[in-house]
Amino acid sequence: MQKFVPSILAVALGVALTGCQDQGPKREKVEINKNPYPSTYKPYSGSSTLIKNATVLTGTGERLDNTDVLLVDGKIKEVGQNLSAIADTTVDANGKWVTPGIIDVHSHLGAYPSPQVESHQDGNEMTSPNTAEVWVEHSVWPQDPGFNRAREGGITTLQILPGSANLFGGRGVTLKNIPAPTMQGMKFPDAPYGLKMACGENPKRVYGGKGVLPSTRMGNMAGYRKSWAAATEYKRAWEEYDKAYAMGLNPEAPERDIKMDTLRGVLDGDILIHNHCYKAEEMAMMIDLSKEFGYHAGTFHHGIEAYKISDLLAENGNCAALWPDWWGFKMEAYDMVQENVAIVDAVKNSCAVVHSDSDTTIQRLNQEAGKVMYRANDVGFNLKEEDAIKWITYNAAKSLGIQDKVGSLAAGKNADVVIWNQSPFSVYAKAQQVFIDGAKVYDRDDEKYQAVSDFMLGQK
Amino acid sequence: MKTFNLSTLAFALVASSSAFASSIAITNATIHTATDSGVLKNASLVITDGKISAINPSEVKADTVIDAQGGIVTPGLISSMNQLGLVEVGAVGGSRDAGDDKAGIDFDPSMAYNPRSSLVAYARKGGITQDLIAPTGGDTIFAGLAAAVELTGAFDSVIGSQKALVVEMGEKDKGSRAMSYKTLVDKLESHKQKLAKKDDKKKDETPSTEDQVLTKVLAGKLPVVVEVQRAADIMQLLKIKAQYNLNLVLCGANDAVLVADEIAKANVPVIFSAMDNLPGNFDSMHANLANAGKLEKAGVKVMLTVAGDASHNMYQLRFDAGNAVSYGMSYDGAIKAVTSNVADVFGLTGGKIAVGQKADVVLWNGDPLELSSHVVKMFINGEEISTQSRHDKLRDRYMKKSDMPAGYTK
Repeated sequence: MQKFVPSILAVALGVALTGCQDQGPKREKVEINKNPYPSTYKPYSGSSTLIKNATVLTGTGERLDNTDVLLVDGKIKEVGQNLSAIADTTVDANGKWVTPGIIDVHSHLGAYPSPQVESHQDGNEMTSPNTAEVWVEHSVWPQDPGFNRAREGGITTLQILPGSANLFGGRGVTLKNIPAPTMQGMKFPDAPYGLKMACGENPKRVYGGKGVLPSTRMGNMAGYRKSWAAATEYKRAWEEYDKAYAMGLNPEAPERDIKMDTLRGVLDGDILIHNHCYKAEEMAMMIDLSKEFGYHAGTFHHGIEAYKISDLLAENGNCAALWPDWWGFKMEAYDMVQENVAIVDAVKNSCAVVHSDSDTTIQRLNQEAGKVMYRANDVGFNLKEEDAIKWITYNAAKSLGIQDKVGSLAAGKNADVVIWNQSPFSVYAKAQQVFIDGAKVYDRDDEKYQAVSDFMLGQK
Repeated sequence: MKTFNLSTLAFALVASSSAFASSIAITNATIHTATDSGVLKNASLVITDGKISAINPSEVKADTVIDAQGGIVTPGLISSMNQLGLVEVGAVGGSRDAGDDKAGIDFDPSMAYNPRSSLVAYARKGGITQDLIAPTGGDTIFAGLAAAVELTGAFDSVIGSQKALVVEMGEKDKGSRAMSYKTLVDKLESHKQKLAKKDDKKKDETPSTEDQVLTKVLAGKLPVVVEVQRAADIMQLLKIKAQYNLNLVLCGANDAVLVADEIAKANVPVIFSAMDNLPGNFDSMHANLANAGKLEKAGVKVMLTVAGDASHNMYQLRFDAGNAVSYGMSYDGAIKAVTSNVADVFGLTGGKIAVGQKADVVLWNGDPLELSSHVVKMFINGEEISTQSRHDKLRDRYMKKSDMPAGYTK
């Protein structure tokens, strides 16, 4: 498929258009199905829940004391004091804290599941620097015990991304963290797709070792530019086709290219970029790359050096999904500062996110955010719980393009809610109850709500 | 040497006049002794010549008196089984010295320890004053020898080599773990035979390093840290321990909870990541956040270590201990698991607030296991030492407003 040089494709199409009136019977319009593996997720409970007298962090910067949260028909119906509604279940949350469901924008659960045996290494199609044609949802093993552990830490939504060996690793998928025998049973309805890109050391190491472009950082950039140039031609070819068909002509459809469908989705604004990119200078170049080809550079993941360009990120509307303290595992992770998230967050119109990229720390994103808050406050920041929670709720939802559905506690939003035994930013904090779309999916005190994966069932 | 450390480090890092004092007192503190004395409230301690010289003296007399203002004092934390100073950047081969294909019983990576590694100061942020560095080994089950370091950053900070022999058992990518047992038992057995026949041999022959290590192992004088997860493997090792009088220490031990009573009965300590709770492989099906507490309750001596990239993430040790408490370990047990238990098992001084102990002391502004607390002051051998690292300088460089490019801010 890649053998088709895009310019030839365009020329061929041009020729076809001029002669198409005389080419026999009218062809059926070729349409590309953008959602061939649709979500089959359904909330499993229709019951209503009233959570009373909690300390509520809304996810959008507010802390509300002695406040009630009412969940009805899978939605947050009301957040306020002394709600008088009668619900199927009332939870006394006096002394407890309530937050939106926690969202991890960077997970490999299901694609790199536990046990981490060779047969389970399904997260990285390391066979070409551009594998935009792979969709990580086709790798997700829903029985990964890690999903259950993450839910016990309050994770209600997570984006699964392919790995970072390639310039274009493929499509990510956003999942509801609900036990299901199929990936589609977990798929977050109507969440936009993500495209995983990776700057820096990984692609050049993986392909340079094979004697293939890229073997350098400049090779990385060349690879990106070539691919985006091809995608631009592909998009134009389809648009010409659609236009000609609409004009009543009888054009031949361009050849379908699954890889280019994904890149075109980015150029059309349907698919969001999630870019593994550590270094300040590379993030800046990726922003320019997006401007060169007319798309948005999206979220930078692992941006260890985001603090060096916090103004640029905010001006360009990029989210930065960051760790509080991982570092030193490779050169591009050397310049870590513990306050990175807080420095990015301090800029107006910023979008700082705490992410995990880990099957263990995903279980404690609350603690990860807490570490940032406290270390930043140690050096003069004045961050509060209502600020830090945004990094793992609202800003994360924004990064995934689902902020209209989840990420904050506001009437009309999906009822994804966590009840914590205390401030979630304590090392001793635990999620006590977790709700997804109003259904209780975890209860620390009730085994009935503690899912066990097929894999772990009956292991002694 | 101590005097030399004091002048260079004090000027470079803290510029604190207290570091020059020959005696220092900390008053008005809650002291977690990590000993049978437990927690002392409204307490004071005095440090003289690098040692703890008094606890709660009737009259506090010292050149420098630090009012802790109700803060918490613990022994300096002790981490273990990582590659501090042996690896600077994980993916940079030239900065990695913890393993070698040819490594074996006599491999001593402490020769390669770099006290000026940027990881040392960073680890101090976590209140860590000593560490047991471990080899990652090579082609055999014998990874080599662990060594003790103190986190002063000084060139004499390897304070003990040959603190343990590290052995890797359990699952293998190729072949059978049964072969690992054969290798281990054959090695122990043949050395035992050799020692039995020693009298027949020429007595003036100097034994090889490997033989010296094995002699100490068979005398029960050198801890043998075995990295292993599966319960069945642990049971095998308990038998081998009994047969060869090993001073066995289990490391990893995700399945240890299944045989906790047997481990306790055999008096075998366990080094453990409190955060492991996924079945990483078929050897660790019982990894669980509650395991540290369960092992403690069964009477096992527990030491905590950080999983994953423990070298760079070592500062999180206290948070791991906090999580262990959250899931059932006693608070006192968690403090001991990162201080005195490690010192006891590996024969280190320090790790305890007690008269006569090495004055590795940390003053915290709150619960040391909480995310919100931080180190206020830290002493190693009675000398105050900074927790500033290059990470702080990077932060300050980019946060400071300057008319010149950030590259000029130092």
